[in-house]
Amino acid sequence: MYGWIWRHLPGNAWVKALLSLLLALALVYVLFQYVFPWAEPLLPFNDVTVDNQ
Amino acid sequence: MPVRVIVRTLSELSLTAGIVMVLFVTYVLFWTGVRADGVMDDQIDALRHHWALQSAQPAPSPRPTAYPAGEPFAIMYIPRLGSTWNKPVLQGTDTGTLKKGLGHYPGTARLGQPGNFSVAGHRRTYGDPFKDFPRLRPGDAVVLTDGARWYTYRIDKGPYKTVPTDVAVIDPVPRASGYTRPGRYFTLTTCDPEWGHSHRLVVWGHLDSTRPVDTGQPEALRR
Repeated sequence: MYGWIWRHLPGNAWVKALLSLLLALALVYVLFQYVFPWAEPLLPFNDVTVDNQ
Repeated sequence: MPVRVIVRTLSELSLTAGIVMVLFVTYVLFWTGVRADGVMDDQIDALRHHWALQSAQPAPSPRPTAYPAGEPFAIMYIPRLGSTWNKPVLQGTDTGTLKKGLGHYPGTARLGQPGNFSVAGHRRTYGDPFKDFPRLRPGDAVVLTDGARWYTYRIDKGPYKTVPTDVAVIDPVPRASGYTRPGRYFTLTTCDPEWGHSHRLVVWGHLDSTRPVDTGQPEALRR
């Protein structure tokens, strides 16, 4: 999987490394900004009230 | 497809899943706190700004309307939880509101009014506001201000452990609190155990004193 990505990135090794880093950072951003905020309320830490459930 | 490719792909997927899990734990344990601390400070700044504007121009006659949902209306201080512990109190207890501060149960009494002023807060994550909830003891002060007055409540009972469906703990005369007559009470709730949701921890107290803000902080906050 990672080998496939590496082979399909353009440029020489330095450009590939830079692009990989940018891809990784973009992935972390999407996770922290969109995926984790969606997943976190499914965990039990939000249940602090004595009503709705 | 050669076995080598399958094994390699599976390994890479497992590695990726592991990294994502570590990132998620980092998010829950650390990042929600960083975000919440900033958001809570913003809420408190907005409140203080709002109050400063209000005192500049005489406020319209105090009207006993409900607090606007999702908006901050008070700041809470609990000296037992630390001399710098102060959190905004917002109207409502839905998930989004509790990310920004403590949540006032809709339908319970307004600050300082007869009935039961009830507030919920996170034990863990989102700044851990009620992390030290079990350290609260009868006699501890819980001080709130709405910009016009200081309200000093005293804890009478708790921490009391109950189940999530026990809604009677926020009744005007809360069940199991020991109170028998109507009064000006308050209730704080959070989850128990620390990282779980099987139970709730509750403390109750009564309104001890109030004073206008321009006469200075109440004794409980002086050190």
